[in-house]
Amino acid sequence: MTTHAPPGPHIEVRDLRRSYGSGTTAFEAVRGIDLVVEPGTVVALLGTNGAGKTSALEVVEGLAPPTAGEVRVLGLDPVADRAEVRRRTGVLLQTSGFPADLTVGETLAMWAATMTVPRPVADALADLDLADRVDVRVRSLSGGELRRLDLACTLLGEPEVVLLDEPTTGLDPESRRRVWDLVARLRGRGCSVLLTTHHLEEAETLADRVAIMHAGRIVREGTPAELGADLPATIRFEGTPAELPGLPDPAALPAAVRVTTEHGSTTVESTDLQVTLTALLAAAAEGGVRLEGLDARSATLESVFLAIASGAHSDDRALEGADR
Amino acid sequence: MTTLSLPRTVGLARANATLVVRNRLTLVYAVVLPLLPLLLLLVGDSGSEGSGGAGAAAIVTALMMAALFPVFYNLLSQLVTRRDELVLKRLRTGEATDAEIITSLALPGFVIALGTAIVAVPVAMVLGQDAPLNPLLYAVTVVVTLLLFAAFALWTAAWTKNAEAAQITSMPVILLAVLGQVAIGFPDEVRRFTDLTPGAAMTDLVRVTWFGFDTGDVERTLDFADTWAAAGQPLLVLVAWALLAVYLARRSMRWEPRS
Repeated sequence: MTTHAPPGPHIEVRDLRRSYGSGTTAFEAVRGIDLVVEPGTVVALLGTNGAGKTSALEVVEGLAPPTAGEVRVLGLDPVADRAEVRRRTGVLLQTSGFPADLTVGETLAMWAATMTVPRPVADALADLDLADRVDVRVRSLSGGELRRLDLACTLLGEPEVVLLDEPTTGLDPESRRRVWDLVARLRGRGCSVLLTTHHLEEAETLADRVAIMHAGRIVREGTPAELGADLPATIRFEGTPAELPGLPDPAALPAAVRVTTEHGSTTVESTDLQVTLTALLAAAAEGGVRLEGLDARSATLESVFLAIASGAHSDDRALEGADR
Repeated sequence: MTTLSLPRTVGLARANATLVVRNRLTLVYAVVLPLLPLLLLLVGDSGSEGSGGAGAAAIVTALMMAALFPVFYNLLSQLVTRRDELVLKRLRTGEATDAEIITSLALPGFVIALGTAIVAVPVAMVLGQDAPLNPLLYAVTVVVTLLLFAAFALWTAAWTKNAEAAQITSMPVILLAVLGQVAIGFPDEVRRFTDLTPGAAMTDLVRVTWFGFDTGDVERTLDFADTWAAAGQPLLVLVAWALLAVYLARRSMRWEPRS
C-alpha cells in the first residue's frame, strides 16, 4: 500500500443526525452521535434492532448524506471525496447483494474489475475457504457461504478502513468464528474496523471499544471492561442461605449490595468482587460448607446491555419530555 | 458529467452480459426480436415499384424493436431485478460510480441494438434496398433513439415494483414508441400530434436519412443536401424527448427497494 492515512483517527463522527421523511411523518433514526475509530482498532456499535446502527453506518459508508453533523473517513468526506474514500474502504452491508445467476468466481471477477488494486481473486477465495465453490452460482450458496463471498469482496482491495454491518448475523458458529479470526487479522495488519452487532459475545470478543446505541443515541461507550466497571459483579452458588446453615448471611458479606435466590441458587451482587469472594470463601472454609456450582464474574457486557434495555422506557419518557 | 472508467464499466458490463445470456427469455427478447423484422425485407419484389416503402417499414420496425427490447425492456428488467437483489446498493459501496453502474447495465443491450442498426445496412443492400443516403444522420438517429429509450428505462424502473410488474409498467413507453407507426392511417389532425411522439420522429428520420423519402412519400424525392433540412424538425422532436427522459430519470432514480 503506497498511501498512508493522515495522522489522526480513521473514522470521526461528530453530532451525526439522520432523519427519514419530512414534516409530521419525519423520523429521526440517529439523534446526534459522536464516534471515533483509531487506526488498528475495532469498534463495535452494539444495539437492539431499530437502535439506529445501520442508519448511522450508511452515512459513514457514504451511501446517505447526514441530515446534520459531520463524518470523516481517513480525514475525508465519504460523499464529496467518494473516489478516494472508496478506494481505501471495504464495506459489508447488512444484507448481501449479488446477482443470483453469476458464479462465485464471476462475482469476484466482476468486483475485482471495479477496483483500482484488487488482490488476486484466487487468494481471496482461499482466504474465505471458497476455493471449491468457485463455479457454484450465487443462488445455490448457503447463507454462510454467501456471507463469506460478500466478505471476500469487502476485503478484495486490501482496505485500510473496514465497515461491517452485522457481519455474522445468521451464520453458524463455525463460520462466525472464522469471521472473528478474520477481523482479528485485519486489526493485526493495522486496519480499523467499525462493525455493528447485536451479538454481545461478538462485541466482547472482537472490539477494543464498544458503543452501545439505543433509540438513536450512543448511551454508553468504552472498552468492554470499562462498560462493566460501574455495574456490580456477581457470585453465584447452589443452595439457599437457609439450606446452608454453616454459612453466614450473604447480605452481611463485605461489599455485597444485593442477594437474590432463584431456582434454589443464590446470587450475590458485589461492588468489589475480590473482597466479597474472599470473605465468602473464608466463611465457607470455616463452616465446612461446600459451595456447589460456584461461579464468580465481573459485570459482563450482557449485564450492561440488559440494564440499558430495561431502562429504555424511562429513558424514552425523559426524551419525550425534553422534546416538549 | 464525470468521465467513466473503461475497465470498471467493461468489467461490470461483462458480468451483465453473462446474466443476459444466461436467461433464455431475456436473450430471445434482446437478440431475436430486433433481428426478426429484417426478414420483412425478403417480402415483396426488390427493385419493383414501391418496394422502398416496404424496405423503410422493415428498417424502422427493426430499429424500433432494437430500441424497445434490448435497450428499453432489457435495461428496465435488469435494473429492477438488480435493485431488488440489492446488487445496486452493494455496487455503490465500491469504487464504481453511479454513471458506471448504469452504463454497464445498459451496455449489453446497447451493443446489440447498435449491432442491429449496423447489420441492417448490408442486409438491406443485399436484398435490393439502397444504401443509406446520409449515413451520418442515420447514425445520429440511431444513437439518440437508443439513449432516449435507455433513459426511459431508468425512469420507468423508478416506479416499477418488481420484474413482473415491468410487463405492465413498460406499456406507456411502448405505446409512445409505436403510436407514430400505428397512426399512419389516422386523419391529419390527429397525426399532427402523433408526429410529435418519439416513435414518429424516429420513423421520419429513418425515412429521410436512409431512403430520402419526404413526408408521406414512398419514392426518393430528397437528395443528400435536402436530408439535413428535412431531418431538422423530427431530430428536434427526438432530442427534446431524450432531454425530457434524462431529466425524469435523474429525478427519479432509486438504488434500493422501498422498505
